[in-house]
Amino acid sequence: MKNLQPFAGTYMLRPKLATFCLVFFLLTSTVSAAGLPVKLNAVDTPNDKGESITLTIEGLPQEASEVEYELLRSAVEDNSFQVVEGWSVKDTVFVDDNVENGVEYLYVLKGTEDQDVQFSAVVGPVISRGQWFNTERTNVLLGVAICFLFILGFVLYARRGKKFYVRPIAGLQAVDNAIGRATEMGKPILYSSGLGKMDRVATMASMNILASVAEKTAEYNTPLIFPNYDPVVMATAQEVVFEAYSKAGHPEAFNPDNIFFVTQSQFGYAAAVNGIMTRQLPATNLFFGTFEAEALILAETGNSVGALQIAGTDSTIQLSFFIVACDYTLIGEELFVASGYLTKDPQILGSIKGQDFLKALVVLLILIGGIAGILGWNWFVKLFSIG
Amino acid sequence: MSKKHEMARRIPIIVCFVFGLFMLVQFFVPHRLSGAAYETVLDWMQIVFVFTLLVGAISYAKLNVKKVSRTESGWGYNAIGLVGLAVMVILGLWKGTGEETPFLWMFNNVQAPMQSTMFALLAFFVASAAYRGFRARSWEAGLLLVVAIVVMLGRVPLGSFISHWIPDAANWILRTPSMAAKRGIYIGIGLGTISTSLRIILGIERTYLGGK
Amino acid sequence: MPRQLIFVLIALSVAVPLVIKIGLPNEVTSEVMRVYEEIDRLDSGSVVLVSFDHEASSLPEVKPMALAILRHCFSKDLKVIGLALLAEGTSIGDQVLRETADEYERLYGKDYVFLGFRPQYQAAMLGMGEDIRRVFPEDYSGTPLIRLPMMRKVENYEDVALIVSVADGDMPVWWVDYAVSRYHKRLAVAATAVMATSFYPFLSSGQMIGLLGGLKGAAEYEILIDKPGMGQRGMDAQSVCHLVIVLLVIAGNVGYFMRK
Repeated sequence: MKNLQPFAGTYMLRPKLATFCLVFFLLTSTVSAAGLPVKLNAVDTPNDKGESITLTIEGLPQEASEVEYELLRSAVEDNSFQVVEGWSVKDTVFVDDNVENGVEYLYVLKGTEDQDVQFSAVVGPVISRGQWFNTERTNVLLGVAICFLFILGFVLYARRGKKFYVRPIAGLQAVDNAIGRATEMGKPILYSSGLGKMDRVATMASMNILASVAEKTAEYNTPLIFPNYDPVVMATAQEVVFEAYSKAGHPEAFNPDNIFFVTQSQFGYAAAVNGIMTRQLPATNLFFGTFEAEALILAETGNSVGALQIAGTDSTIQLSFFIVACDYTLIGEELFVASGYLTKDPQILGSIKGQDFLKALVVLLILIGGIAGILGWNWFVKLFSIG
Repeated sequence: MSKKHEMARRIPIIVCFVFGLFMLVQFFVPHRLSGAAYETVLDWMQIVFVFTLLVGAISYAKLNVKKVSRTESGWGYNAIGLVGLAVMVILGLWKGTGEETPFLWMFNNVQAPMQSTMFALLAFFVASAAYRGFRARSWEAGLLLVVAIVVMLGRVPLGSFISHWIPDAANWILRTPSMAAKRGIYIGIGLGTISTSLRIILGIERTYLGGK
Repeated sequence: MPRQLIFVLIALSVAVPLVIKIGLPNEVTSEVMRVYEEIDRLDSGSVVLVSFDHEASSLPEVKPMALAILRHCFSKDLKVIGLALLAEGTSIGDQVLRETADEYERLYGKDYVFLGFRPQYQAAMLGMGEDIRRVFPEDYSGTPLIRLPMMRKVENYEDVALIVSVADGDMPVWWVDYAVSRYHKRLAVAATAVMATSFYPFLSSGQMIGLLGGLKGAAEYEILIDKPGMGQRGMDAQSVCHLVIVLLVIAGNVGYFMRK
């Protein structure tokens, strides 16, 4: 819906146009000398791609009357007024989106009662244009700028050698033990990144953890099985694992058949992974990514085969199921911290620090918002609305 | 690192930066030109996605054919998978996917019931997980137990049959403390998403390229 | 207690009430009432976009909700545009839409259309905000949209009064991100019970105008439109099943404390 703010007054007519309008009135035989007592304003609709003019009409009667009103438009070059489709007398604010960019338009309101015809003052010329910046989204731009500042600021700070502390995350600390367990038992590790595609941030975080896990499984020569829901994730995972094996000095141990595509059907995937678990009996299950309803099915089956399970997901609902059924769970953004936590990359740790400060800012805004709500400061709430 | 390899890594990073920045900037630019470019990018996204489906189908077929041809352990299941894939593709291309076609019959009478059955397994798993997991080992666990019982009863007609306080309490739990906790997690996830997205656009995060 | 015994108890608790009707009364919650009131206040001829964002697996849970909402829409003479952003929702959505349209003798092309499936849901949602015909040049059966009388007046979200997402995953969140935040559309959600609880923050903030949650949501909506269906029938089974789970949890705790 377009924002229909009150506009400034009528445009000043140029001399030639003023003459045209005067002639127009004199030539109309049934024109009343008084004119319609309405105020018509027309401006280019702001913050849009153009081809739109917004009109405000004040002074129209609210109750039913015998006067029939019509809104007329003319391009200045055409010199002929046509009825504007879609306007009705109830519309005190109307958006005319049947105009062309760059063309000068005039508007007038016509009232007819029996044989008597009256016109309002002609407004215009007004030209519709597309804007290059949506001013209603200035608050979003400011928010983006603040996020950039915090995150980039800390990344640059980290590049200068500053070390940032990240608290211990039990789930990630347990990954090493889980891999060791599988090695000792001589059983494979099952890895799943859930249902997310590569554009999901949780899937990217999962790939980071996969890189670290793969490096260790390469060192210990533990089989790593990774059934995939998405073919692009599969291709990425194969690259990630190969790089990890190469980094560990065992590229020959990499088996691409262990990282395979299954199906893009949610429960078909769950059935396939369950089958793999019951047949291959993995010692460790690692579930990191986006999971939906199949989460509990996977976790319960893993539990039934006696696997140690570590899970992390961005889904709030499935977290509850994982907490019940798994041994360790990464909650919320602990999953996104994984890449920095495991690699100790200073830039990533810096961005995590920036994230934390942003969270503190959000908490502060929530507190202020709560107080604003109690005190009735609606202007504060409006600061956060998006145009 | 060879020059070719270096270029292979640099080009995707540049492409990612350009398109990431464009999609960010166009949100603030309502002009027609920005809109036209934006719609073109959206069309490209759809086209690229369709080709990724091909990758999946080929990968699936390749792996299963390999297992069947080598008669590896469980090769019968791989053969069934291949037959299923072939049958649905042939039926869809041959008779179409509309009303009263064999494809739709297979979907309605084979695929949908099988998938619904898998979903229905959740009921059993939830019961066994709840039986195992909901133990009042501490006061927090006890509180969780009580809340779970109230919500479970409150979300079915039985709750209001027992007492109108149960559905009222269940609705309050869902609308207030549960909602507040989820909101907190969403905010954290949202900030994590912003941070990760920024790292990807700026080339700091390169996981999608297959590691470092 | 062995797992297998728990499974048998659950199976019986669901199966028996489906055969032996109990008829426990349902109460309508405010979340469902808001969806009903939103659709009810729409003028005749308003366009509602119903997106079938679910897979075949959740059919038993989402179909009753979809049927109830579509029945309400058709009874109010609203125009319905159906589409699917998940592949499996396509044929299900087409069937459900036709089934309910036939009940109310609504004509395809004039009263409802089904656009089919588009991959890459983000691009589809954003694209429809600019031009629906660019995303769906033809409907599901291959007819150009311009030839369908109903679609001649519908260009993008501006011409749609309400979006309804019938979902079994987190697709409604994407609708909020794109259609609600960017294009200021009103969104109602009909989701499986397991997903519904995660949408309460959006309900509270007004980004979703109402929410149907699982079979209970369907049952409540059926009460409001006075058309009993699978929603109400399933609530007896769900009630008994929940009671059995509660008793199992209590039994587990009793056993735990006795062993302690």
